Amino acid sequence: MRRLVIAAIAVCFSYPAASEEFNPPLEHFIADYVRPAVAEFSQSSAKLPDAVSAICAEEKKATISGFYEAFTETVRDFSRIHFLRFGPLVEDDRLSRLAFMPDPRGTGMRQIRKIYAAQDPAVLSPESLRDKSVAVQGLTALQLIAFNKYGEVVLGSSDETRDFDCGYATAIARNVASIAAKLETEWADPKGYSAVLLSAGPDNERFRTSKEALESVFNALVTGVIIMRDQDILPALGSSAEKAKPRRFPFSRSRNAIIYLSGELSGIRDAVNSMNLKPLMSESDRWVLDTLGFEFKNAQSYLDKLTPPLRLNFGKDGSYNLTAALAVTLNAIRDMMAQEVAGALKLAGGFNALDGD
Amino acid sequence: MPLMATETSRRVCTLSRRSFLTALGGLTAATVFSGSPLADSLLSRDAAESMPLFASAFKKADGNFGIGIVDELGQVLAQISLPGRGHGVAVSPDATRLAAFARRPGTFLIILRPFDQAEPELLTADTGRHYFGHGCFSKGGRLLYAVENDFDAARGVVGVYDISGPQTRRIGELDTHGIGPHDILLSHDGRTLIVANGGIETHPDKGREKLNLETMSPSVVFLDAANGDLLARHGLDASLHQLSLRHMALDANGRAWVGGQFQGALSETPPLVTVFSRDEMPELREMPGAVASRLQNYIGSVTANAAGDVIATSAPRGGQTLFWDVANGTFLGTQAIPDGCGVAPIDQGSFLISDGNGGLSYVSDAEEPAEILARPPGFSWDNHMAAFG
Repeated sequence: MRRLVIAAIAVCFSYPAASEEFNPPLEHFIADYVRPAVAEFSQSSAKLPDAVSAICAEEKKATISGFYEAFTETVRDFSRIHFLRFGPLVEDDRLSRLAFMPDPRGTGMRQIRKIYAAQDPAVLSPESLRDKSVAVQGLTALQLIAFNKYGEVVLGSSDETRDFDCGYATAIARNVASIAAKLETEWADPKGYSAVLLSAGPDNERFRTSKEALESVFNALVTGVIIMRDQDILPALGSSAEKAKPRRFPFSRSRNAIIYLSGELSGIRDAVNSMNLKPLMSESDRWVLDTLGFEFKNAQSYLDKLTPPLRLNFGKDGSYNLTAALAVTLNAIRDMMAQEVAGALKLAGGFNALDGD
Repeated sequence: MPLMATETSRRVCTLSRRSFLTALGGLTAATVFSGSPLADSLLSRDAAESMPLFASAFKKADGNFGIGIVDELGQVLAQISLPGRGHGVAVSPDATRLAAFARRPGTFLIILRPFDQAEPELLTADTGRHYFGHGCFSKGGRLLYAVENDFDAARGVVGVYDISGPQTRRIGELDTHGIGPHDILLSHDGRTLIVANGGIETHPDKGREKLNLETMSPSVVFLDAANGDLLARHGLDASLHQLSLRHMALDANGRAWVGGQFQGALSETPPLVTVFSRDEMPELREMPGAVASRLQNYIGSVTANAAGDVIATSAPRGGQTLFWDVANGTFLGTQAIPDGCGVAPIDQGSFLISDGNGGLSYVSDAEEPAEILARPPGFSWDNHMAAFG
């Protein structure tokens, strides 16, 4: 009987311990990565509407570079959060409304042409813009109307379309800033999605254990690496150097391809590092994080050797081989995260691969 | 290598596609609904437009399950929530109705009429039965066949449902002459049901635990659709008794290509793809050893292209989708898609492949990188995708 009582007590105390075991890495991730990253995105995108207004009021060197800087900083900070494909970023189609990617068939451009042909007034205010297709609402759409294919800022430069260009660009800029502000607010809210991640247990409809919560976050980071390689790099590499399509690099039209790729790489790296996973691993497994760090450094070194703008310079100075090597390294990073790191933490991954049918 | 013998005759109809999207309101946020008629957008679809559509079960980042309908650019046009995790979707011969089955050991079945102003019909499995995730319609579309588990008797059955009236009725069941039936197909002439008995015994009291791995005996059976009579039953060599025969597709010749999941040691690499026909011995298909060793002995879904001359078999644990030439039975090549599992034909020479990371990829050549068409945020596409429309 005594043994039974002890067993019962052990069960009572062990359940909460088990359900919260992985809360520390999640707390670090939220406090040290997500909140600062979405705050930075919110701050940079908040400058975008004024930068659009300035270039539209008077197109001169200072306003052109001001707009370019504001757009680039917004893209850079977006690249560091786009892989957080859960919670606030996927609600209300926010991620697709911020940037419509991938878009291999040029859907965004096609729809924008239609908007211009019809001079559709609905795109001239953020309120009515949000009822339009997600492909014409965000940074990818702004890039299409504000830059030409040589990476030059053309916003405000056309006497013929300036009013419409500027009205539309302002609506996009305000739309992006508004979504970014909501992301910052919702992630800062201790009762928001942070609470969903941190309160795993029988009363939490989404996560029964903190391990499940960490799995969902960690798998999103692995997906981020897959997106960077398969979606952001391989289409540009094509099947050979002769068939390369550098315009397929994300944000290459605005000369921001390397900035975007560097941002997503460093973002995923910083997100992993923020979790301080080593204490959760056995001594014999901890090397995997060091090796992973080494591979992230390798990947960044390839990016550092590329000369911007990638769309114009791709193919020169060994850039094709450097980018191909980057893709190989990303594959290694993915395997290391999905197999070694997840394995060391006993995290389950792969929706279809897992417990298949 | 292109995935067809002759030049691709991909249906490209930009103008009609554009007007279709206009009718749908472009790529605006898909209508989210639960229990209400399938997306308003689909109601306005012009039947004359032969735009391919695709249906797949999904899990959302918020933990909810549903069925999504996407177009050939991978844009989600409509979605409906499900009471639990779904699996396969069957399409009626006239493509006006879809049946979505619960993943085993689930007990819900939902019948959708995506182009009508009709409520989805939710059915629950009979007492003592649960669904295995697959089903098919009869040739005329009046009957729906659902693969079910008579779990107390450890016996596979095909539940037969009459869907012609205002309310669907279960009017009987057929014996599958095996344990753990999984996928089911209707022969091209509509007279024969083909069922893959996976061979693995499970009981809902024990969740998804496999109860008979030592003695399992998978088979593919050919049943008379009119009365359920057993026309033929084919198994594999005793050395392959742990190769669970699960997913199937018919080729142009009416033979069933079956993908297996090997329950034995991972150090072995048995053939995972076998071709069955009613009156011939099963034919094992071989793939290069370097490919086989990467698949973890697991095929997740099997699909034929529109002409039935190329078969795709996905292997999500290996992150590969394999392609086969029906005419000579040879391996055509493989395409790397991480966690890719759902495969549906787009046309003669191309496939749409869905993955657990939300991606929807276009593949028309095994040697060119897959083209990721879309990745709707927050979606994890489940095991299977069906083409319709």
